[in-house]
Amino acid sequence: MSKEEKNTSGTFMQVAKAVLAAFMGIRKQSDLENDAANLKPAQVIIGGLIGATLFVISILVLVKIIVNLN
Amino acid sequence: MAAVHGDVHGHGHDDHHPTGIMRWVTTTNHKDIGSMYLWFSLTMFFTGGFLAMGIRAELFQPGIQILEPELFNSFTTLHGLIMVFGAIMPAFVGFANWQIPMMVGAPDMAFARMNNWSFWLLIPAALLLVSSFFVPGGAAAGGWTFYPPLSAQGGLGVDMMLFAVHILGASSIMGAINIITTVLNMRAPGMTLMKMPMFVWTWLITAYLLVLAMPVLAGVVTMLITDRHFGTSFFNAAGGGDPVLFQHIFWFFGHPEVYIMILPAFGIVSEIIPTFSRKPLFGYSSMVYATASIAILSCIVWAHHMFTAGMPTVGQLFFMYATMLIAVPTAVKVFNWTATMWKGEMTFETPMLFAIGFIFLFVIGGFSGVICAIVPIDIQVQDTYYVIAHFHYVLVSGALFALFGGAYYWLPKWTGHMYDETLGKWHFWLSMIFFNMAFFVQHFLGLAGMPRRIPDYALQFADFNMISSIGAFGFGLTQLLFVYIVIKCIRSKEPAPEKPWDGAKTLEWTHLPTPAPYHSFETPPVVK
Repeated sequence: MSKEEKNTSGTFMQVAKAVLAAFMGIRKQSDLENDAANLKPAQVIIGGLIGATLFVISILVLVKIIVNLN
Repeated sequence: MAAVHGDVHGHGHDDHHPTGIMRWVTTTNHKDIGSMYLWFSLTMFFTGGFLAMGIRAELFQPGIQILEPELFNSFTTLHGLIMVFGAIMPAFVGFANWQIPMMVGAPDMAFARMNNWSFWLLIPAALLLVSSFFVPGGAAAGGWTFYPPLSAQGGLGVDMMLFAVHILGASSIMGAINIITTVLNMRAPGMTLMKMPMFVWTWLITAYLLVLAMPVLAGVVTMLITDRHFGTSFFNAAGGGDPVLFQHIFWFFGHPEVYIMILPAFGIVSEIIPTFSRKPLFGYSSMVYATASIAILSCIVWAHHMFTAGMPTVGQLFFMYATMLIAVPTAVKVFNWTATMWKGEMTFETPMLFAIGFIFLFVIGGFSGVICAIVPIDIQVQDTYYVIAHFHYVLVSGALFALFGGAYYWLPKWTGHMYDETLGKWHFWLSMIFFNMAFFVQHFLGLAGMPRRIPDYALQFADFNMISSIGAFGFGLTQLLFVYIVIKCIRSKEPAPEKPWDGAKTLEWTHLPTPAPYHSFETPPVVK
C-alpha cells in the first residue's frame, strides 16, 4: 500500500483520471495504489456513470458528424 | 498479487455433517455446493452435447436423414439454452463456490443457506428444459433467443422453457448477490481489493453484471408469458406491440450475458498463466481496470445483434463503433497474458496448455467478433454459420477451455489426488484438433452463405459440413476422456503433493493443506 495512506476523498481530477483509466483498461501500479487509498467507492461509481454518459454522448456526436458529412 | 507469508497448516475440525443423500440436500458448505454445481454443469454439458451431436449428425450430409425439421429446430434451441444456462454459467458458479472463499480467506460464502437454494433451483429448471421434449408439440423451437412471434406461438414446451429460464435467472441473481457480499465483506485481514486474486476480481465484476442483466431477462420473459396467456400485446404487432422491442430488451440482457460467460474465464486464465510462467501477472492493475472497462462497454453495444432488424444509420454507426472499442481492453488483457509468459520459466502441464489454447483460439473468436461488428459485413453474415463459428470460438475455446484448464489446475486441491498428466495432455490436444476441425470450416460455410438453424443445405456446402461433423463427433467423444480422467483422479489412491504447482501464490495453495479440509479458514489468515 502507498505511503500516504489516508481516508480523505480524492479530487475531481483524480476521479476523472481513474475512470478514464478504467475505460482504457490501462493503469500504472503507483497511480492505482493512490486511487485505492484516496478514492471513495461512491466517487468512483458516480464518476463511472458520468464517464459512461460522456462516452455515449461523444460516440453519438462522432456519428452525427459522420452522417452529416454525406 | 498478494504476497502471502505463513505456514501451511491443517485444520483439525470435525467434518460433522449428515451422510448419504441428506448431506447434499441440506448442505450449506461452499465446497459441497461447488461440487454439486460442477457435477450438474458437467451433466448438462453432456445433455447439450448430445443435442449438438444430433445437429451435426443431421448436417453430416445434405437432405433430411435423422431429425425431422421441427425436431431439428428444437435441438438447436435447447442446445443453446442448455449450454448457456445449464453448462457454462453453473460451471463458473461452481468454481466461484469452491475457490472464492478459499482465495479471499473466508470460511464460507456469506449466505450459506441461500447458496444451497440457488443450487437446488437448477434441478427443476433442468428437468423442465429436458422434459419439454416429451410434451405435446415438443420442445421450444424458436432458437435460444426465443424471439417472438415464434415464441409467442408454440405450445407447452415454450412455457416450460420460459419458466425454466425464469428459475435459472433467479438462481443466478442469488448466486451473484452471494458472491458480491462474500467478496466485499468476508476478505481476510490485509486482503485489500487490490490484492485479491484476479479470479476473484473477474467474478466480482461478473456478479455485478449478473445483478444488472438477469432482472432484465426476467422482465422480458414475464412480458412474453403475459403476451402468451394474459392477453397483453407487448410484442404483438396486431395489438399495437412491437416484436423488435423484444429483441432490444433480450439483447440488453444478452450482451452482458456474453461477458458473464467470459470474464470468469479471463480470471481462471489469469491464475494459471502466472503459476506456470513462475512470474506475477503482468499489469495486474491494468487487468482489473480492463475487466471493469469490458463490463461497462458490454452494456452499451447490445443492438449489434440486431443490425438486420432495421435501425437508423446513426444507430448502426453508434453500435458499430462502441462494439469495436471493446477490442481495446480485451487486447490489453491478451497482451498482459503474453507479457506474463515473456521470459518466464514456463512449463506446459495440462492447465497451462488449456490456458494457452484459450488465448490462441479466443483471439480468433475476438477478431471474428470485430468483423461481425462492421455493419455492412454483419448484414451479409447475419444468421449464417460465420456467426456460429464466431461464438463457438468465444464460448467453447474461450469459456469451456478455461473451465477445463481451471478444473485440471484445482483438481489436486479439491480431490487430494493428482490427475493423469498424460491423459490430460491427450484431452487437450484432441480437443484442440477436433474443435478447430468442427468450427474453423464453419467460417467458410458462413461466408459462402449457409444459414444457421436449417436442417438441410445446398450441395456446395457438403464437404465442409462433413468435415465439421467429423470434428464435432471427435470433440464430443474426447470429452468422455475428461470424465474418465476426473473419475480416475477422484478414485486414485496416490495423494497429490501438498503444492503440486510451485508457482502458485494464492491462499488456497499457500495456506491450506491438500486436499482442502471440509471447513477452511475458520480463523482468517493474515495477508501481508
